[in-house]
Amino acid sequence: MHQESQKLRFPGDMVKLVQLSKTYERGEAAVAALHEVSLDVGRGEFCAFVGPSGCGKSTLLNLVGGLDRPSSGEFYLDGRATTTFASNDWTMARRELIGIVFQAFHLVPGLTALENVALPLMLRGDGGRSVAQRVEEVLELVHMGHRKHHRPGELSGGEQQRIAIARALAHRPKLLLADEPTGNLDSHQGTEIMTLIRSLTKAGDVTVLLVTHSQTAAQCADYIWTMQDGRLVSRAPSPALTGVA
Amino acid sequence: MAWLKVIALLLLSHMTQRPFRTGLTIVGVALGVAASVAVRTANVEVLHSFEQAVLTVAGPTTLEVSGGDFGLDEQLIVKVREVPGLASAAPVIVQTAVRLDAGQPGGALQVIGLDLLAEFDSRGFRVMQGQDDNPLADLLKADSLYLGRKLAAEWHLERGSTIQLQVGARQVQARIAGVIQDRSDRVSSWDHVAIMDIAAAQVLFGMVGKLDRIDLVTSPEVEIEAAAQAVRAVVPPHVAVERPASRTRQVEQMVRAFRLNLTVLSWVGLLVGMFLIYNTMAFAVAQRRREIGIYRAIGMTESRVAWLFLAEAVLFGLLGGIVGSVGGILLAQKLVTLVSRTISDLYTPVSQGSASWFDSAELWQASVEGILIGCLVSMIGAIGPSLDASRTATVRALAPGDYESSRQLRVGGLAAGGIGLLVLAGLLAFAGPLGGVPILGYLATFCLLAGLSCLAPFCITGWKKRTLQGERPAGIQGAMREIAVEHAARNPGRNGVTVSALMVGLAIMIGVLIMVRSFRHTVEVWINETVIADIVVAPSTWLREANSGSGAKSLPAGWRDVLTTIPGVAEVDTYRDVRVEVKGQRVAIVSRDLRLHARRSQYLVRQGNSTDLLNQAVDSGGVVVSEVLANRLGIREGQSLEIMTRQGAKSFPVVGVFYDYATDGGKLVMDRGLYQSLWQDELVTVFPIYLNDGADREQVRQAIAGGLEQAQDRTLPPLIISNGELRKEILDIFDRTFLLTYVLEAIAVIIAMLGIVNTLVTSVLERRREFATLRAIGGSEGQIRQLVLWEAAYLGVVGIALGLVGGGLLSLLLIKVINKQSFGWTIQMILPFGALAQAVGLAAVATLVAGYFPARWAAQQPVVEGLREE
Repeated sequence: MHQESQKLRFPGDMVKLVQLSKTYERGEAAVAALHEVSLDVGRGEFCAFVGPSGCGKSTLLNLVGGLDRPSSGEFYLDGRATTTFASNDWTMARRELIGIVFQAFHLVPGLTALENVALPLMLRGDGGRSVAQRVEEVLELVHMGHRKHHRPGELSGGEQQRIAIARALAHRPKLLLADEPTGNLDSHQGTEIMTLIRSLTKAGDVTVLLVTHSQTAAQCADYIWTMQDGRLVSRAPSPALTGVA
Repeated sequence: MAWLKVIALLLLSHMTQRPFRTGLTIVGVALGVAASVAVRTANVEVLHSFEQAVLTVAGPTTLEVSGGDFGLDEQLIVKVREVPGLASAAPVIVQTAVRLDAGQPGGALQVIGLDLLAEFDSRGFRVMQGQDDNPLADLLKADSLYLGRKLAAEWHLERGSTIQLQVGARQVQARIAGVIQDRSDRVSSWDHVAIMDIAAAQVLFGMVGKLDRIDLVTSPEVEIEAAAQAVRAVVPPHVAVERPASRTRQVEQMVRAFRLNLTVLSWVGLLVGMFLIYNTMAFAVAQRRREIGIYRAIGMTESRVAWLFLAEAVLFGLLGGIVGSVGGILLAQKLVTLVSRTISDLYTPVSQGSASWFDSAELWQASVEGILIGCLVSMIGAIGPSLDASRTATVRALAPGDYESSRQLRVGGLAAGGIGLLVLAGLLAFAGPLGGVPILGYLATFCLLAGLSCLAPFCITGWKKRTLQGERPAGIQGAMREIAVEHAARNPGRNGVTVSALMVGLAIMIGVLIMVRSFRHTVEVWINETVIADIVVAPSTWLREANSGSGAKSLPAGWRDVLTTIPGVAEVDTYRDVRVEVKGQRVAIVSRDLRLHARRSQYLVRQGNSTDLLNQAVDSGGVVVSEVLANRLGIREGQSLEIMTRQGAKSFPVVGVFYDYATDGGKLVMDRGLYQSLWQDELVTVFPIYLNDGADREQVRQAIAGGLEQAQDRTLPPLIISNGELRKEILDIFDRTFLLTYVLEAIAVIIAMLGIVNTLVTSVLERRREFATLRAIGGSEGQIRQLVLWEAAYLGVVGIALGLVGGGLLSLLLIKVINKQSFGWTIQMILPFGALAQAVGLAAVATLVAGYFPARWAAQQPVVEGLREE
């Protein structure tokens, strides 16, 4: 990472967005998916984003994960300015800092559960027993040790999402991004997955950003941001925290 | 190590996930590699066996004194032996006989006459004789023949057997006195020849007092070139003194253009294979776009994504290379026969040989080269898609339903580049050969095909625009067509590659077809204009196998008197054809009665009138030379040409230049009287006979056979062929020459067809959801099939249209540039519309057949799964 960005540290925040915008060109028209969003998320916080389809939730998450680039604004990740990040800097960030869970699971279809989970570690250059131990560890954490030799096609949606979470956690990320992790699951499986994610934040120093349509899922978070038309319109503590729920 | 593990893990998973496509691609690469390996192997093997035969028989010989087709006076050896610095001088006769099996001509047999007493231990062979023989007496017997080990086994002959041989027009009997073996017991050139004592060979081949060669061993302290100079000083001027290996070099030089043409043609399969690899990898990138997104999301760098796809292509190349190398080496065993026969027909006699190096280290070299070629071709083909994969935008890759390339192809820019390449091809076509080889002509061909390939995406999208701008077709059929065309045009990059593969295959097919048909037409015209004699009397082996040695291809001049007395015969010409060296070129000197020829027949002369020129040649003691020779020597009508005769160097005025397609080596024609006065050669190669008007050709033919039978004792009936049979034979040789071309073309077209299957399967896989939606709203299986077939038809139409344009331009390059620069022949271009229609029809049918299976498969896909895709 760049020397200059090392100077700009915000020790308290895992994620800091300053007037971040994202505009997509659609032919001659420009569509603003995210409009001057400013946000601070502290370490170990669990933050949910809710809102109607197309309000910019997933765009926000993609920008935080470095999967997409903002059109303007500033973004500090773990205290480092990302404005000058090159593609490889983001790759390194995803190897070390960030874990991502997708709605559609996005497991590699030809690999077993175990191989899928091991893949991020192998990509970092890890090998040998440490990888095997860590993979076993996270598979047990998501209660999938008994299904480790199965391929994605042989697993239920809930099981696939557990594997996807295990993969996202394998390299001990500080930031977990979850994009509609319960979107493809039934309510029972959805509850299980959210309980699992909630337990992670309680157990360690993992910051979680959750994007969801589901109010039930959002209620697992510490607080909930509501989005509309690419803007953050309100922030409310989770009913779970206030004891309302 | 961890990275290698990742690659291995993912490659294994990818290849097992799509076994059909993996297999298809490997087969495509394997076919391309097989064609290339087979042609290279056959080319090398033919020359290798020639070289091996020369060097094995030469033994320790350091210099050869050779009289060519005229042979040498055996007294010359006395003079040569007096030259200082020579350790030995040995007489040699090399002639060909034909084995007669129940009176019918069988295999050809090369007989080497040696001074066996002197050379028994020096040439590297040993003879297996019986224990009770008197070896010395047996060696020298006039009918003692020692047969090569393998030949004896193939012909089921053993010591003591007798063998009937045809030598020239005579039938003789020989006794197998023993079997020859190489001293080292390895496969050798001695296995397929026969040897006999020099004196017996002189009698057998009617060469008493003559030799073909004198083999010299120079003393170690003497420089070989100095010894050669000393020998040249004592031999007649037309006699060549050279090292044995130079014969191999001469043959190599002679067949260089032929081999190069064949090699380049064999690369077409690789080129088309490259398109197939591009296609496969582009498909893999498109299909795995989401996977790429995942890899990037969990920490794979851009360069490693590219390497992952390159590694997959290399694996395809490796497997295809292994299969192709094995196939190529097997195919080469068949091609060796074809190549050696073609070289023998057109250039110089080469035997098929013993295929000795199929067992040797060169086999491994050919295999390794094949595998490397496979890997290289695959890597080149995969560069574009791999870079595309590495540049995949992660978010778009992970977004639902976005399988298509995230990078929009710059169709217009590519088309402009294509036009630039076409212009470059045109400029290169006007450049001359480099070192006698049309390198720039080949480069022009490459630019032409590359230019048209660059235009393919533009044609695909351009066509679509025109279609959509026009009146909208009514009904479901029209809608289906429109959806198909729209989809094809949506992926100009990948579909452009498929269309290019089809275009290249078809262009080569059409280009070569026009060239071959034009060539054949030219040869037919030439035959009709110049092969006029009603009947030709020739040695019985004239049209068979490769002949070597003058004995097998000459007839006694005295037969002319017999032939002229046959009722119905109006005139008899005496045609003599011998090979001599003129300014370093091996040239056929044809001598005949030019005044008779002027009256009865003609040469297709470049300028002037044939009759006048032939008479002028007789009057002035001049020659007419073939166009090929004139081009090679850079001489024109009115200039003079110096030729080394038995009487020393003589200068001949060149009175005319004629078109000739009988030989690639060049030909010059002079009057028989002039030839005989300079070369003292009375023999005749063939007698062209002209009949009286109204004479019955068949009756005269029988009368000729009867007349010659009475005239000669123990003579086999010569070949008496009619004009029609001779013309047919010439065209048969022509067709045989191009058989190999058709085989290589077919391989290229098959690979192109694999490309179409690959593309359509890709298209179907990408559109499973679209098809499922159509089925869900009431589309039938038949309609889905139609949709895919329409797409195949659209790609086929664009590919065929480009292929026709490319084929036409390619034929121009082949006829006007490559053939002209390689061989010197002028070919009159014709357009064989019937054959072109067949080629286009074949390509169209192949396209639809290639489209049918993906279409059927698409129609049978479960609807629910397709809809669940997202």
